[in-house]
Amino acid sequence: MDPEWNESLLRVVGRWGLVLLVLTALFVLSAIPLKITHLGEIRPVFMLMAIYYWTILRPSPWLPVAFFVIGLVLDLLAAYPLGMHALIFVLAQWVTGSQRKFLLGQSFLVIWAGFAAIALGAGALQWALFSLFNLTLFSAKLMLISAVLSVFLFPLLALPLSVVHKALADDPSSVP
Amino acid sequence: MPLKTTTVQIMPVVVLRAAPAVLILLALTLMMLHRADTLPVERLRTAMTDALTPALTAVSAPFNALVEQIDGVTTIRDLKAENIRLEEENAKLQQWYESALKLQAENQSFRELLNVKADPTLNFITARVISDAGGSFVKSVLLPVGVLDKVQKGNAVMSGHGLVGRVTEVGQRSSRVLLITDLNSRIPVLIQNTRTKAILAGKNQNLLKLERLPPDSGMTIGARIVTSGDGGQLPADLPVGTIVSTGENGVWVRPVSDIDRLSYVQVVNTDIDQALATGEITPPPKPAIYKSGK
Repeated sequence: MDPEWNESLLRVVGRWGLVLLVLTALFVLSAIPLKITHLGEIRPVFMLMAIYYWTILRPSPWLPVAFFVIGLVLDLLAAYPLGMHALIFVLAQWVTGSQRKFLLGQSFLVIWAGFAAIALGAGALQWALFSLFNLTLFSAKLMLISAVLSVFLFPLLALPLSVVHKALADDPSSVP
Repeated sequence: MPLKTTTVQIMPVVVLRAAPAVLILLALTLMMLHRADTLPVERLRTAMTDALTPALTAVSAPFNALVEQIDGVTTIRDLKAENIRLEEENAKLQQWYESALKLQAENQSFRELLNVKADPTLNFITARVISDAGGSFVKSVLLPVGVLDKVQKGNAVMSGHGLVGRVTEVGQRSSRVLLITDLNSRIPVLIQNTRTKAILAGKNQNLLKLERLPPDSGMTIGARIVTSGDGGQLPADLPVGTIVSTGENGVWVRPVSDIDRLSYVQVVNTDIDQALATGEITPPPKPAIYKSGK
């Protein structure tokens, strides 16, 4: 086999392996009981952080498809209306993507504020969809707390995400 | 050749550009289909949880251990105090155990005198909660036990001393528990001192609401609520909660168990056939004597 081809294959596997690792970790954080979060009642939306971060710094046409699938799996696991996480993830990705050019050169504070807007918007949408699906007006309090918690945890998560980003940036074969 | 354009080459750019819009429509369609018919979604859900359970079980244990380490760093002194408290409690429980056995024997002989058909034997299957992804809108948890462990749909689930929910979906090795706090939870109960029957409804909050109460059924704060066993799915007389408020906006009940912080739960399996065959109630195993703290 052509050694050059072999090398780039290794790079691709390594790259996607890293992405997969981060996604798996975030998925696990979204699903397992964390005693600190009072049985998941107030759980930060970890996946949203990856969506936002990668859409700005590492956009790929595959992002919406990947997060759609992850959303569906989360819906099934959490007994949510099928498609709700998927819808919110794809929408969040879309909105972030449309603001990408503006956000790219900004300071971290502005990017953080942008995430706050996305997190609150996603929370509000989830609350509205849930109320509509069950034809009952849910209390929005816990959802709001979860969104605020997500905003405060974003810088913490942005650190490992930026490590992945740097590793990928060194790779000349990565998708633009 | 470098793999610069692989993904783009495989999938035409146009198709991927349109992907978000298509996916959004697809998600909306799925939601509407789910709203129209929940059965296929439930089947899919069971298959998915069955498939993910081994991984979640493996992953959640070390995570929990880590959180517990951070959560419960206790000094030796705390452990000693806890130990003394537990030993005292154990001594008390031993006394209770003896008197319970005596009462059970007495009960048994009365039942025989009256020729009462015996209650079914209760089997307990203990399991750790492996997932609670429901967030603030869906109150359900996943357990790594299923048909293979003799869990059945409809089984009651207890934590420590009170009812926390019931099994709504069972796979081969996983099951979903709908907690009593969920908006869709309805449990037939009775008020222990007056034997008044009612329905206990979840409201997606910490307190539960008593519904379908007969008019003027004089509720008192502090009255105990237990399962009535009506409908035949849940065993009778499992403790559920106590009344904490009565007033214009209804009668509200606080659950006995701390539903916010479940870790280990017991699935209560009523083995009806066996009980009918033997007519016996087997005494529970003697409580273990705890020598150390938690």
